[in-house]
Amino acid sequence: MSAASSIKLSRSPSIRSNAQISPPPTPKRSRELLPTPPLQPEKEPTFHNYLRAFHHFHPSSTVTSAGDESSITVPINLGDVILVHSVHPNGWADGTLLASGSRGWLPTNYCEPYDHPSIRALLNALTQLWDLVRSAEEENVISLSRPDYVRAMIAGVRIFLDKSNCLNRESPLIQSDVALRRLRKGLLGDLSSFVKISKKLQTVLQRECTNAEASEVLDQLVLKGSKVVIRAVRFLDVRSQDVPILQPEFDFGDLDLHQDGARLPTPPIDSETHLDRVEEPNGDTPGALPQPYDGIAVVQQPLDPAAHPAGIDQQVLCSSAASQSPSDASFRPNNRPTSISRPLSQVFSAKRSSVAHRLSYISRTSTIRRQNLASERLGAAHDLFLGFIGSFIGLHLQSRSSTELLSITEQSVKACRQLLLVVEEVWERDGRRSPSLGLAREFMHMKLIELVQATKDMFAQTTSGEEVFMPDQGKQLVTAATSCVRAAGDCVAKTRAVIERIGDFEFERPGEGLSDAIFGALSPDTTAGVQQCAVAEAPPLLEKPLPMPPQPKSRPPPPPPIQGLESKPLPQPPAESLSLEPIPQPSLVESSEAVSSLGSRSSIPPLSQLPTPHFSPSEFSPDSTSASPDLSSSKLFAKSARSESLNTSGGETNSTYPSSIQGDAASIISQTSTRATSPDRNVHQNEDGRMLSSFGSLSEIQSAASDDLVEAQILETTYAHELIYSKDGQIAGGSLPALVEKLTTHDSTPDAMFVTTFYLTFRLFTNPMDFVHALIDRFDYIGNSQDIGLPVRLRVYNVFKGWLESHWQSETDSAALGVIIAFATGKLHSALPAAGRRLGGLASKVTEVHAGALVPRHVSSLGKTSTSVTVFSAVDNQIPNPITSKTQLNALRNSKNGGPPCSILDFDPMELARQFTIIESRIFCAIGPEELLASEWTKKQDSKAVNVRAMSTLSTDLANLVADTILQPEEPKKRAVILKQWVKIAQKCLDLNNYDSLMAIICSLNSSMVLRLKRTWDLVSLKTKTRLEELKTIVDVGRNYAVLRQRLQNHVAPCIPFVGIYLTDLTFVDVGNQTTRQLPSDGSGRAETSVINFDKHMKTAKIIGQLQRFQVPYRLAAVPEMQDWMETQIQRVRNSDQSNVQSYYRRSLLLEPREVPQVNPHPTASKHSATGSVSSTSMKENKDKFDLFGSLHLNLSSSSKEKLSN
Amino acid sequence: MPEYNIVVLGSGGVGKSCLTAQFVQNVWIESYDPTIEDSYRKTIDVDGRQVVLEILDTAGTEQFTAMRELYMKTGQGFLLVFSITSLSSLAELSDLRDQIIRIKDDPRVPIVLVGNKSDLEDERAVSRTRAFQVSQNWGNAPYYETSARRRANVDEVFRDLCRQILRKDMELNATRYSGSGGPGYGLRASGGRTVGGANGMGRRQKDWYHDGYGNSSQGLRRRAHRKRDQRCTIL
Repeated sequence: MSAASSIKLSRSPSIRSNAQISPPPTPKRSRELLPTPPLQPEKEPTFHNYLRAFHHFHPSSTVTSAGDESSITVPINLGDVILVHSVHPNGWADGTLLASGSRGWLPTNYCEPYDHPSIRALLNALTQLWDLVRSAEEENVISLSRPDYVRAMIAGVRIFLDKSNCLNRESPLIQSDVALRRLRKGLLGDLSSFVKISKKLQTVLQRECTNAEASEVLDQLVLKGSKVVIRAVRFLDVRSQDVPILQPEFDFGDLDLHQDGARLPTPPIDSETHLDRVEEPNGDTPGALPQPYDGIAVVQQPLDPAAHPAGIDQQVLCSSAASQSPSDASFRPNNRPTSISRPLSQVFSAKRSSVAHRLSYISRTSTIRRQNLASERLGAAHDLFLGFIGSFIGLHLQSRSSTELLSITEQSVKACRQLLLVVEEVWERDGRRSPSLGLAREFMHMKLIELVQATKDMFAQTTSGEEVFMPDQGKQLVTAATSCVRAAGDCVAKTRAVIERIGDFEFERPGEGLSDAIFGALSPDTTAGVQQCAVAEAPPLLEKPLPMPPQPKSRPPPPPPIQGLESKPLPQPPAESLSLEPIPQPSLVESSEAVSSLGSRSSIPPLSQLPTPHFSPSEFSPDSTSASPDLSSSKLFAKSARSESLNTSGGETNSTYPSSIQGDAASIISQTSTRATSPDRNVHQNEDGRMLSSFGSLSEIQSAASDDLVEAQILETTYAHELIYSKDGQIAGGSLPALVEKLTTHDSTPDAMFVTTFYLTFRLFTNPMDFVHALIDRFDYIGNSQDIGLPVRLRVYNVFKGWLESHWQSETDSAALGVIIAFATGKLHSALPAAGRRLGGLASKVTEVHAGALVPRHVSSLGKTSTSVTVFSAVDNQIPNPITSKTQLNALRNSKNGGPPCSILDFDPMELARQFTIIESRIFCAIGPEELLASEWTKKQDSKAVNVRAMSTLSTDLANLVADTILQPEEPKKRAVILKQWVKIAQKCLDLNNYDSLMAIICSLNSSMVLRLKRTWDLVSLKTKTRLEELKTIVDVGRNYAVLRQRLQNHVAPCIPFVGIYLTDLTFVDVGNQTTRQLPSDGSGRAETSVINFDKHMKTAKIIGQLQRFQVPYRLAAVPEMQDWMETQIQRVRNSDQSNVQSYYRRSLLLEPREVPQVNPHPTASKHSATGSVSSTSMKENKDKFDLFGSLHLNLSSSSKEKLSN
Repeated sequence: MPEYNIVVLGSGGVGKSCLTAQFVQNVWIESYDPTIEDSYRKTIDVDGRQVVLEILDTAGTEQFTAMRELYMKTGQGFLLVFSITSLSSLAELSDLRDQIIRIKDDPRVPIVLVGNKSDLEDERAVSRTRAFQVSQNWGNAPYYETSARRRANVDEVFRDLCRQILRKDMELNATRYSGSGGPGYGLRASGGRTVGGANGMGRRQKDWYHDGYGNSSQGLRRRAHRKRDQRCTIL
């Protein structure tokens, strides 16, 4: 899915649904009038997911079309918050305005990174939502059908309010400040409508409705999510103004917040110097960022806040805080300019020669993966290096010729340099020049030199190139190489950290550039100056034409046009005298042109492949103004501004605005009031009201009830931000409290698979005690509220109940029993007396039942199993009668009492298969899930997996029994008959869905000891052979048991699958998946938090569930006599020495000796002739353990016997 | 593209599944699902040739000894894995190798001996010399030490094995009607050591006689050669 089409979602539903429908339904343009909150001064150049405009930028045209390339520049206004997707080296960023959902290029020098510890979680939640919706475009709507992203948003808001000390409605701050109170209310209102939209989405998705419908709701969802964030941003703005006392709580980390308190925002100056730097690396590109032309004017008037647009904005908001004079209230956050200029200039002073992408933007969507991304290159280079250095070490562990050694050394060094080069590139790009990475790189470089030196030394000792080195000679080399590997690992890890911080980016060179070209000509000796080499290589990178120069680069937007005034009269902003930029009116017209010019474009290649972002026509509805976000959203903005004014000033109409502060905001209001297009027109009626209600004061009346719920919800402690979701929306990871929370949500029944997985595997990632405590914590912190507390507490009780009833393992869990009983009789009893009593009763019962669970359980849903049982019993309503005659039963009894032994030939193959299936099924159904966890069955001592082990033993015994019976008779004819009988039994096992026995029999028939009996096979009919071949294909191990897996899928029970498949799968799930996952970095550069990799456990549980699905007893009548006999036979095989493969083989050789030694003592010729024969007669090891020579005499005699008997 | 089956064998707990998982997985893979058809397939580059490898790793089913032969039958090359921290895990491999050779009916079947867990140097119970000795006795099979955990030497063992298989393929074609020591057998240098093949594949040609166990002195070797000349015939 192209980036462009995902833009559709976030931008406009219009085309998709209806051409008449215009701009995003809720372009709630909550213009940021506020001065930005004090920001944490950024010290590191970082890829910022969010930017905030500190200055207007209104290009003359939003579309520049050169040739067939079109690009959209989005106008930005002061205070706009932008989600950044990628940043081009020339300083233009591809971003989405949160307020309007418009996407396009915007100049980063007009923006500052936006981040604050308190709002970070919320911002991350929005980024996730955005990415999720993008992936939903890729037919992955399922991920949105679970309300997890909603919880993440709620958690984000909660953390935000919590960190702002405003979580509680009763908090002093909220009580004392009317503006904050209203903003908080508005925020919760927004959140509540966000929740509603998500619920609507749920129903829409369930209805299987049209794509357009779903996309529309998705659009609403994203916009509302953005809205929530914008509201929070504004809240933060007001709060940081109003609450000077609390400021220290924010970790601003820098003092100039206070020192620069009186400074005005003066971005332009900084941005100019910064522009130069940007241009430096791209000297040949004319791309210059638009210059905030009025910057100097602003600087010149620093003491007149009212005159400056920012000052105006601030005043608008400050008007609420009546007690505060503009001068002290509005300038608190004035550290902004410094925080702006510093990080940005740092970002761009770093060597940035290509587009930087938001990491999630890339990694979440495999389709956008590109070879040339730094992260990919790093991985590839590291792989290559490890490959070569691996063979280097490998070579030295054996003796090798010097030529080989030379070439492999050369390759290792090359690979190492290549890796260094990638590292170098990343380091160069990192403006902060991460010292730790620098060190790691130096260290690796040093190790490389050491390695080369060691190799050289070794060569110096030898005279000729044909010398062979002994392994011990290479010891030194191996040590050097090993430390080189270690250094590289360290280096790569650090580099990845840097990439994460600065954003992933593409290397300028096409794929092969780094790998081959650069070091191709170097000999291994010229290690000195790897770095120089890398540096020397760097300039060409820059000289190369940039792969995707955004259009604006070559056409710097001219100073804001004045013509807008002619085309549409606008209220003159009072700040006109300051050469404030007029609102760029023409953009509307131009963008519609762009729409038509793009009209034929249906699918758009990924952003990165284009010189500029292309927007598909659907982004622009013909009648809409959405192309120009400041226009399309202006009405909403007007609304929000109005309501804001209500909130902040307590006044009733716009007239309360002081005329002097109207600025551009006011102009938009008046302008939109004349506009015909209503952004809300296409919204459903009820939705419309809700959306409106979410704004400001309206919400207080209309959605008071839902707000209360959200209010309550927001007060919940939550760990939702500690969950990780996989692409399809499943829980992939999370901390224990977060998982427990997921287990006990108030608003939805927990997913059955999640619950069973948890019960089944929690002992692998936590212990019963911690689990109990996490549950009790959950019970405690959720409180006792009717709406949330109670349902959650009941669920906590249910989790305990389910555990005790069905998943209790006294051996490990009884340690926690005391705490559970205390909880049941204490807290639970006082809150929910009935539940407390019941749990207490269960707890005491559990101590009595030692083996097995109180209530049987299955990992898979019981429904499935029971339906398959019904299917079975419907078809086979009656238990089939055993096919046994009286004589047979008598013979069996006699043999038991010392009579003549029975043979498998005496019985019907079907009955034999049945009885064996019953025996095996008994063991199979007894396999408990705990036997399959943590490779329990492979433990050599005290394995608890008794039934799994019994299964494998039985399989092996059966296979041995097959070989034993076939190898018993001396005559090939008799052997052939028995062989045929076994093929029949195998066929019947297949008919009974007993794949485990089938596998054992086929294995044995195909074993070399049976297969080599050429004379026997010659007597087997073609029909039997064909049947055997068919059976063989079923249990073929090829392609990861593809045939067998195919059959087992959707197989009805009862069935005995080949257990080995599951055992292998479980083993590989265990070793192939990490135990922990990293929470997505919050961009703060702090150490990442590891959480449980729940995905791994889900996979484990899924496999166990598949096995359990088949654990249904067969409806077959047992014939005890026959089972007895079988058990005896098995026991006999097990106890005899014969159950040793080698002794069977020896016996096989005795029966049908190898022909070669007898027929042809000089076997050369005959061996050639024997090629391809099934029972190959040649055995070239005459001195092996099988003691062929010893048995030769016997061979001779037995074969002559055979001849005689024939 | 040629396709080869590689079978990974070794007793439980030596980390062979880890070795396989590391090999078939890409480095940055987030989540590994072993239940799909190509979970164990990987295309690798061996000296410029693209080769598809299908790995059969019996991890978890070690106790199904009856299955072993079935697995072995499918393999064209074998990785015999032990843990350098367990001497018994090395000892157990000898039986497996015997079985392989019997089943494949070919003493020259491509085998690589792998000492895994090389990162646990402190717990080393099998000295390099000892393991090397075993590999020498196995017809001079290559010996590698790997660390699946650190992904050291992982690709290389598979690549080496693949080289052996490729070379064997070529020899098979080249020696259809030649006797022992025919073309494609490589040059034997004095003392049983050989020089890397002309094709520059990173593995030297081997001797392929089997003279039992612990029989590694030069004298014995020479005798063995003579014997081999008499009876060694490769189909």
